[in-house]
Amino acid sequence: MGAIKTWIHKLGRSLRGKDTPQLVFRRFLDVLEHNNRALEIIADLGEKGSGDYIFDHHYIEQSLDDLHATVTASARALNTLCRHRFPDLEPRLEELRREARRALRGGDPLEGPLVRGLDDLRPGDWDLTGGKAGHLVELRRDPRVLVPPGFVITVPAFFRLMRHAGLSERYEAFAAAIARGAEEAAVEAERAALERGVLEAEPPPELQAAVSAGLEDLAAGEALLAVRSSAVEEDQEFSYAGQFHSELGVAPRPGAVLAAYRRVAASLFSRSALHYHRHVMPGEGELAIAACCQVMVRAQVSGVAYTVDPAEPLAETMLVVGAWGYGAAVVEGAIAADSFVLGKSEPFRVVRRDIGRKEKALEYGETGEEWRRPAPGRRTAPCLSDARLRRLAACLVHLENRYRRPLDVEWSFDRDGRLFILQARPLRVAVSSRERRSLAARLQGYQLLAEGRGKIAQQGIGCGPVFKVDTGRDLESFPDNAVLVARRDSSRFVKVMERAAAILTETGTPVSHMATLCREMQVPCIVGVENITRRVAPGEEITVDADEHRIYRGRVVELLSFRADSGRQLVTGREFRVLRKVLRKVSRLNLVDPLLDNFSVEGCASYHDALRFIHENAVRELIELGRDEGRLLRRNLARHLDLPVPVGIIVIDIGGGIASSAAGRRVGYADILSEPFRAVLEGMLFPGVWHRNTMQVGVRDLMSSMFSAPVRAVAGRYTGHNIAIIGANYVNLCFRLGYHFNIIDAYCSDNERDNHIYYRFLGGASEFGKRARRARMIEHILREFDFKIKVRGDLVIARHGGLTRPDMKHVLDIIGRLVGFTRQLDVRLESDAVADYFAEAFLRGEYEVVGKE
Amino acid sequence: MKMDGDRAYRLLVIDDESIVGKRLEQIFAKAGYAVEAYTDPAKALEAAERQPFDIVVTDLKMQEIDGLEVLRRIKAVHPATRVIIITGYAEMDTADTAFSEGVFDFIAKPFRLDEIKSAILRAVRDLEGRG
Repeated sequence: MGAIKTWIHKLGRSLRGKDTPQLVFRRFLDVLEHNNRALEIIADLGEKGSGDYIFDHHYIEQSLDDLHATVTASARALNTLCRHRFPDLEPRLEELRREARRALRGGDPLEGPLVRGLDDLRPGDWDLTGGKAGHLVELRRDPRVLVPPGFVITVPAFFRLMRHAGLSERYEAFAAAIARGAEEAAVEAERAALERGVLEAEPPPELQAAVSAGLEDLAAGEALLAVRSSAVEEDQEFSYAGQFHSELGVAPRPGAVLAAYRRVAASLFSRSALHYHRHVMPGEGELAIAACCQVMVRAQVSGVAYTVDPAEPLAETMLVVGAWGYGAAVVEGAIAADSFVLGKSEPFRVVRRDIGRKEKALEYGETGEEWRRPAPGRRTAPCLSDARLRRLAACLVHLENRYRRPLDVEWSFDRDGRLFILQARPLRVAVSSRERRSLAARLQGYQLLAEGRGKIAQQGIGCGPVFKVDTGRDLESFPDNAVLVARRDSSRFVKVMERAAAILTETGTPVSHMATLCREMQVPCIVGVENITRRVAPGEEITVDADEHRIYRGRVVELLSFRADSGRQLVTGREFRVLRKVLRKVSRLNLVDPLLDNFSVEGCASYHDALRFIHENAVRELIELGRDEGRLLRRNLARHLDLPVPVGIIVIDIGGGIASSAAGRRVGYADILSEPFRAVLEGMLFPGVWHRNTMQVGVRDLMSSMFSAPVRAVAGRYTGHNIAIIGANYVNLCFRLGYHFNIIDAYCSDNERDNHIYYRFLGGASEFGKRARRARMIEHILREFDFKIKVRGDLVIARHGGLTRPDMKHVLDIIGRLVGFTRQLDVRLESDAVADYFAEAFLRGEYEVVGKE
Repeated sequence: MKMDGDRAYRLLVIDDESIVGKRLEQIFAKAGYAVEAYTDPAKALEAAERQPFDIVVTDLKMQEIDGLEVLRRIKAVHPATRVIIITGYAEMDTADTAFSEGVFDFIAKPFRLDEIKSAILRAVRDLEGRG
């Protein structure tokens, strides 16, 4: 019987075709609940990447399983809510699960492109590029440094070469022996066989074709190339400095490049590399190598620089060593060179210079390497002028700030005087244990601003002048390498993150979008530091030690010099790389804007995307509620809301939105309990907002409204009542004011992740130009409040999410004021300047300007 | 970190996932401890027999020799050593056994650096009789 009843019920519902608002809302809450659990798991995983945790493989695996189950439940809840509109959502989640697992286990090493341009790779593609080329990929994206163009012969190419040469099994056995910590003598025969095997290997045809194509794309004509090693672990946690083969002056032809490449690849199995391998990483790391092929700079003077002088790590000086010609000779220490010790801040004073007798200079000609004697006057002259030293110094400081740690940089000035950066790798500053112990004592000389306050979102050490950010506009003048100090955290900080020395906020959690971005960009960040905005002055230098959870007044040189010891190097460690790869499939948000085309099931490239997609579509389902008057009004739930301003709103309570004491068909403002609705009403009723000036409507406006409004009214669901569907935490308000149409949909609870605001504005009575101007004015205003906005003609769609409860109320209040303020305003917007004037006045809170401009 | 006279506290870390040892070594060496880390418990126990450690941090689930066995053997040779067991599985049975065998503390993986730091600090205080 029960089954038949259910069936009849279902049939009835599908015939009626509509669920009650209460049911829709309950299902919406169901989606939220699953989403929240899933977001918590994502946040937990993300937080492990901050450097503040110790985790293992098992933990990541377990979390992935939990996450998948929860997101799947959420997808099912959405499909229940919207009548299975997204049948391909669950299959997409299964694909994501497979991709994430692949990231966790390490994919097939043979898979992937064989050759790829430096500019076609992404920072973080370590698995393809190896360490050294990985740094170059990042550097190429930095508009402030010049890096020669090039391409990478990838790690998969290495494994394809090994397979083609029949060396795979031998390689596996060798790698396993090293991982076990086998003695050098025991693997010597295998090592030598592999080295020889790679040197003699015939590259697979697909690799030959890929290198030819790479050279063609590079289009560098006859310029010689540098083919450098880029082993997977090189220049990351371990420098492997000088352990692998690099070759300069390589002719830009496939045969020559492949020959050099084989020598580079074979050096992975050289005796010295093996020695290093065994000593620094038993059981760790991957034995694989890529090669980076770069156009050679026509070098006039080249060398190496350390951003911290290792001889005096606390002196805040840098060391530059250079000589005429190419830098290889300087790196190898093969020739006499000049060395300079420079101050680390403007004007980069030269503290010391030792000018060597430079009898030889390395050049590359038709026949390759050539030693030349510099002109007599040049031999004893400094190879760098003070002006060039200053340029180099400024660049070095920029790079150190960008990488947030001391660096070892190879540089070159070419014959046109352009400064090129050829390499940048982490510099390890040796710190004796005595110095380490004295560090604590030295730190006591600094004033502590805070210790253990708030939560570490990303480890690291940063120092710079304080820059306070209140509104989005402050970000526009954010200076390089300042410490961003703000009351609230915001994902908008992403604009300046790369340039920020550190970020401090008074509220926020280590699991916010901003915190996730900080981790991606390795910005030291502490959130929830009480009162910090009041305790520091703009421009004042402070030092943030997000390793030890301390904030100091002033510049703590000791900490900056030892930055190499801090979180940064840990998070480039292998397990962090695995976690980051997994996080790409878990927490990276690709579907940032629901208004873009990629906002689709296929566009979901991570679990976070899927949750975003689910949430957005659940909200859409809600928004539709209020537009369906037939469904709402016939149910006898509607009550009339009496307000002191002339807007007739019909209220439908789906639970907790109206005080139970309110009886009868009419309710007043005081009876409204719905928090988000109250906030909107408060804004609408704010003194001065609801101006009563009659607007002078021009003839063209009148014509326009006569012709356009009825058309819209027919096309859209434009006519009818103003309806508010409300619950204790929810409002969906659809209403018409004059000739324009507003939708406000908001959910407001203690859990900020659930919270959203959707605001839609359309139409007006004036000519199209004015209406469009009003739309842009609304955009202007809402941008200040961090909305995501799309404007098309006179249509504005704005979204906001993730606000705390008090912030929600504030922003909804603003929306309420905006609704009142912009009413009929379109007819006055004769020019963009007038629109800007009103927008600015609104932002200043001067609502009475209307009619007085 | 406080020194016992001129001597740094000796800390032994045993975990078959090398990340744990590697990270703890970095952190506690920086704080002034003399740290040794092993992925192979047999080798770690050999090291402990050669020269006792003040504090031992060991994983529970390991191949061949598990954390409880490590605890027993360490305590047998040098009862004063404070042993902290870390584990990915919060198993109450194990915890009970471990406490009866004299484990100093238990920490569940994954953990914050603060947690392990404070556990070790407690162990140090305990060693210094200030528990």
